[in-house]
Amino acid sequence: MDLYKELVNGPGYAVCPIENMQLFKKLRDSFIDRFNISNGSEKNINVIRKAMLKMSLSELNRLRIHDITHTNVSDMMVNSCPSLIEKLCGKELFIQRRAFIIFNVPDKKHQRIWNHYEMISGISPFSYVIWAPLHDLEDDGGVYVIDQEKSLEVMKKEEASGLVNGPTVLDMERYQKPCQIKFGQAVIFNPFVLHGNVSFNSKLARIGCSVRIQSYNKPLLQKNSDYLKYYKLP
Amino acid sequence: MTTATITTDINIGPFKIPANGQNMIMNNYAERNNLVVELLIPEPMMSNALATAQWVHKKRKLTKVILSSIHQLPTKQDRIEELLINMEDVEFHFALEGICGKGRNFLLEYIKESKIFMNAKIIDSTKTTWLELYKMMQEKGIR
Repeated sequence: MDLYKELVNGPGYAVCPIENMQLFKKLRDSFIDRFNISNGSEKNINVIRKAMLKMSLSELNRLRIHDITHTNVSDMMVNSCPSLIEKLCGKELFIQRRAFIIFNVPDKKHQRIWNHYEMISGISPFSYVIWAPLHDLEDDGGVYVIDQEKSLEVMKKEEASGLVNGPTVLDMERYQKPCQIKFGQAVIFNPFVLHGNVSFNSKLARIGCSVRIQSYNKPLLQKNSDYLKYYKLP
Repeated sequence: MTTATITTDINIGPFKIPANGQNMIMNNYAERNNLVVELLIPEPMMSNALATAQWVHKKRKLTKVILSSIHQLPTKQDRIEELLINMEDVEFHFALEGICGKGRNFLLEYIKESKIFMNAKIIDSTKTTWLELYKMMQEKGIR
């Protein structure tokens, strides 16, 4: 099926290959460099994943705060998938000013992302989310996405009872199985599909990155220059 | 060598941020970026000329100023020119956008970006529903 139809009229999400792996590896390596953990000449994401397991909750929080100052991750992510993005949104875009680097440490006490619609944050209904791991996913550490039909069914029921992201949505996550994708693949989804991640058991932390994009010609909702920036694909 | 925060009118482009909210935003930004704020400049309401900041700069030699957003930059051409001439050597920080830099080109780039956002269409979230937003995406497409 055509990717656009798949995302708008079909399941609402798709798994796509990263087009520019050289750039995406550079993105991963720049993340590794920030940790300043010496590991010879080879840049190994697993060293970082392992180091994260030993970090305290406050150290992980500090890392999250520190990470929001890096603005070039968005450009790198967008330029890792230029044709895909151009096909969906054109060349002129609004993109997330600071893409997220998300790390999840195994164990229930650690922070994870609840089941939610991306729309609840106030991004435009014309946005897409691109999520990609910085390593292969061999366990349940990845993101799960619930197809559009089921997500919409829940949204309709919730709206009828005056709720958004209520108990039904929160309860759904225990039945979910995250996508097991490889480094070099990305999940792309529209803002109406429910998604999140589950607690997982692993010997390593999970590190992924995500960016939100929309066409410059489509209207904004609540997110403005605080969250988005104008960007023109080369 | 002075770093100052600047509060302005509550209406900041698409945002409505009271002055104490602006102070919280700017002080949090300063803390995260290890900046020590020595001066607070209150600009008058109903003005985005940043004229007070320019007068203070003449007297106190500001090195860095922190604003809440790029939308606090002037929009009228004569006011823009004055700012570019008088504050070209001052480092500007915009807390919500998390960006900083100095010089004519830097300021012009963000004045332009502010204009792009002000010209963008915005869906009024107070006049829609979740299902209407979904319908909008399905019918008007994403391209």
